[in-house]
Amino acid sequence: MSREKGQTKANFLKGIFLENPLFVSILGTCPALATTKSLEAAIGMGLLFTIVLICSNVLVSALRKLIPEEIRTPAYIVIIATFVTMVKMFTNAFLPELYSTLGVFISLIVVNCIVLGRAEAYASKNTVFDSFIDGVGMGVGYTLALMLMALFREVIGSGMITVGNIFTFIPKSSLPILKCVSAEGDVIYDYSISLFQTPAGAFIVFGLILATIAFIQNRKKELASYRDRQEKIRKAQEAKEAALKAAQTNNVEGGNK
Amino acid sequence: MSDKKKYIITSITLGAIAASSGLLIGVTNLVTKDQIAKNEENKINNGIKEIFDQNTVKVEGFDLSEAGITGDYKYVEYLYEVKDENDNELGCAFVTSGSNNYGKISLIIGFDAAEKAFLNLSVVVNEQTYATTLVDNYINPLNNGKRDVDDVKCGATYGAKLVRDMIDEAEAAVEEFYK
Repeated sequence: MSREKGQTKANFLKGIFLENPLFVSILGTCPALATTKSLEAAIGMGLLFTIVLICSNVLVSALRKLIPEEIRTPAYIVIIATFVTMVKMFTNAFLPELYSTLGVFISLIVVNCIVLGRAEAYASKNTVFDSFIDGVGMGVGYTLALMLMALFREVIGSGMITVGNIFTFIPKSSLPILKCVSAEGDVIYDYSISLFQTPAGAFIVFGLILATIAFIQNRKKELASYRDRQEKIRKAQEAKEAALKAAQTNNVEGGNK
Repeated sequence: MSDKKKYIITSITLGAIAASSGLLIGVTNLVTKDQIAKNEENKINNGIKEIFDQNTVKVEGFDLSEAGITGDYKYVEYLYEVKDENDNELGCAFVTSGSNNYGKISLIIGFDAAEKAFLNLSVVVNEQTYATTLVDNYINPLNNGKRDVDDVKCGATYGAKLVRDMIDEAEAAVEEFYK
């Protein structure tokens, strides 16, 4: 039972860290560059993406024994497209600001490599529950990755974090960080760099995050290999000392004889 | 398994998936269509309020033929006559839609009743690739009086040209309406 629980936890966490779709597998980069201008848009995109991923994973897994091998891919695309269309309609009806902000990128979830990839690589071979957990993990991982990018871009690009523009049920408010504007609209200070709000800025942020992750991973590998080398040297020294000791003992015994 | 049986099973499975998908989308459409229509109506009402700078307006919608506009228009689709809360005529607003290689755009273009001149415009749908650039660099400055309609070089020039053409067409329609 506890092993199963541990497996479920590992299955969920792999999408967030070890197999993060955006930062490790470098999938779904197009919406990541286009919809991370603001934190709210990134959360919205991540949420819609997660819903589609979970639903398609669950249905693909449930139908995995019924769908013939030859028509797997078209069947998966029809399933994903259905969920994307439904999500698009619901967003248009109940979150119209999010719908107009994300625009064409909601429809583009259909061709997102992560959704089709998880359906093909995971859901078609695993149980409904495992596929559900995989969908949640990957969705949360992708959402967190989008949020991280959006946080950098919004803070550096606009100088403040604004909420309530897209999720209108939250009272509209701004947290000034690099830019402060008075109630009359006068700029008190502004250290923001608007480049980060442009697509070029998205590439820069994405590149910097990937570089940081690569640095951390390489450092870990280097540390591990350094420890490995040290261990080998220590063992070699111990063996040498033991051999010397044995030789000395042999010499003493030989002398006595 | 014979080829014939295999083909039949494959067709039935794909057909069943497609039918279920259609059904699901149909049900979703039934659930959401009223709300979507209400949102669009609200968007148009808010757009008209913004254009005429009023808190409350009374609007009456007309098809072009009903309003006596008979010209051949590519973008202009619908007309709203706008009055304030005391029934004083404020002007009219045209709903226009158009698209180019960069996507679709739909606008409400408002005209003043007294001078029959272009007032402001409000965006209903903006699916242009350079949507934000178009709004930030062309539509907002146009509404603030900081840019001329014909000054379309803005980083989203093709979108701006489309908006300019829509405004030009609405101006022709407004002349016909007040004739």
